[in-house]
Amino acid sequence: MRSWRVAVAAIPVCALSVAVPFVNRVEPRVLGLPFLLFWILLWVLLTPPCLWLVGRLERRW
Amino acid sequence: MNALVAFSIVALVVVGTILFALFSLRRFPSDPQQYLVGGRSFGTILLWVLLAGEIYTSFTFLGAAGWAYGYGAPAFYILAYGTCGYVIGYFLLPAVWRVANERRLLTGPDFFLDRYGSRALAIGIALLQFAALVPYVTLQLSGLQTILRIIGYGGVDSTLAVTIAFVAIVLFVFTAGLRGTAWASVVKDLLVLGAVVFAGIVIPTQFFGSPAAMFDQLLRTHPSMLSLAPGTAPRGTVWFVTTVLMTGIGFYMNPASMNATYSARSENVLRRNAMLLPLYQLVMLLVFMAGFAALLIAPGLHGAAVDQSFLLVVQRYYPPWVMGVVAAAGALAALVPSSALLLGAAGVFAKNVLGDGLGIATSERGRMRAMRVLVLVVGALSLAFWAIERDKTIVELLLLYYNGITQLAPGMIAAFVLPRATAGSVAAGIAAGLAVVVYLVLTGAPFFGINPGFAGLVANVAVLLLFSRPSGSSAAT
Repeated sequence: MRSWRVAVAAIPVCALSVAVPFVNRVEPRVLGLPFLLFWILLWVLLTPPCLWLVGRLERRW
Repeated sequence: MNALVAFSIVALVVVGTILFALFSLRRFPSDPQQYLVGGRSFGTILLWVLLAGEIYTSFTFLGAAGWAYGYGAPAFYILAYGTCGYVIGYFLLPAVWRVANERRLLTGPDFFLDRYGSRALAIGIALLQFAALVPYVTLQLSGLQTILRIIGYGGVDSTLAVTIAFVAIVLFVFTAGLRGTAWASVVKDLLVLGAVVFAGIVIPTQFFGSPAAMFDQLLRTHPSMLSLAPGTAPRGTVWFVTTVLMTGIGFYMNPASMNATYSARSENVLRRNAMLLPLYQLVMLLVFMAGFAALLIAPGLHGAAVDQSFLLVVQRYYPPWVMGVVAAAGALAALVPSSALLLGAAGVFAKNVLGDGLGIATSERGRMRAMRVLVLVVGALSLAFWAIERDKTIVELLLLYYNGITQLAPGMIAAFVLPRATAGSVAAGIAAGLAVVVYLVLTGAPFFGINPGFAGLVANVAVLLLFSRPSGSSAAT
């Protein structure tokens, strides 16, 4: 149970750090943004749902 | 005339914000718990604006745009590290809060004192935080001067204006404490939001047709700017990853953040905040776009001048009242976080160094008086420091600050996950981390593109683990 919620929380952190060298590119452009910027933005926006899910797994809300 | 309009707006907004915050207080704080941690009564919304208020500083406003202007993609680390910081905070802050609430802790070093039982360690940490905070406040003053110099249109003494504004905010904190800062943050956040929507969406749309068209043009003129240099190059991918991790871990390690954490009403208030704060990062995206637009509209700035990038565009192409509103948002972004930082620095010095260390001002009333006096002292120190300011960009100064402050994180995390950690091993870890940081920063040695603070963090954790082994363990087996 504990490892599950840490894993869910670790997803955005990994996407925003160690995954960055692998998405370090301009194409394809998404919504006009260069891909790297889009990727970072995407994971910034997905972080709240991830943390919400962690809270659910912990039965905090 | 232009300067008069812009300055009047800034002055009006700053004075209005201070008055609004003072009127929002039901009564002035009279004991250290109220003054420093708001009586541990903040709900989700007030804590949200307070945290956002002290995290998103003039650095957000000018520095991030400046880095987008000067370097391009490396600036994106700012978007990433805050988010990582929030995820770590989701787990760390409720745990710290629980201890702080049970033991009625006032400051960050109190936590170390409580867990590791060493007064010397707590005093050392208090001094480190204090030493790191003065330059951080100085940073805000530089940001403020950049803004006021631009709205002076060349005809006003910006040094005098900065000094007046800063003295006003010091007196404000002196009076109102943390709750006052939280209320001032409400105004600041709304104004900043308006200003970045203007700078990040309206400016690109007016000049290029749409933000996407702006990126098209940027890719034609600066093709390598929107991705990172590979591998170990300066500000390359290795730098990016290590910087995001280092600054994300250090995110909550300054005294002001600790005060904000303690001010929460409950653990879940902190969890909800960790969940919601990443949304504030969208502001950063708009700031980057403002920086990129400035690069295309007004190219040719270098060095520390990049911090002025989009303000110059506003100054050149928009009427003075628009400049005034944007500048007012920037001024609040410098002043409101400064108020939290002053309070944090004064708190650790009064409680941990004067009180616990030297046995001065240990009564409630004495401590209260000491904190207030120290707010004035730290304010004066920051002004003095600012007078001998060096030529660095805002982000570079911020990274230096993070290198040092992050070294406190392993000791704090170990308090929960490493029962055999002791005051000695935590202190040794911090010392090792700082030594590595100072060596790498002073020699400027290229270290495989790795961020110096991250290298320090690795040394810190290694030493902490090594010295945490119980000395008799090998004999016992």
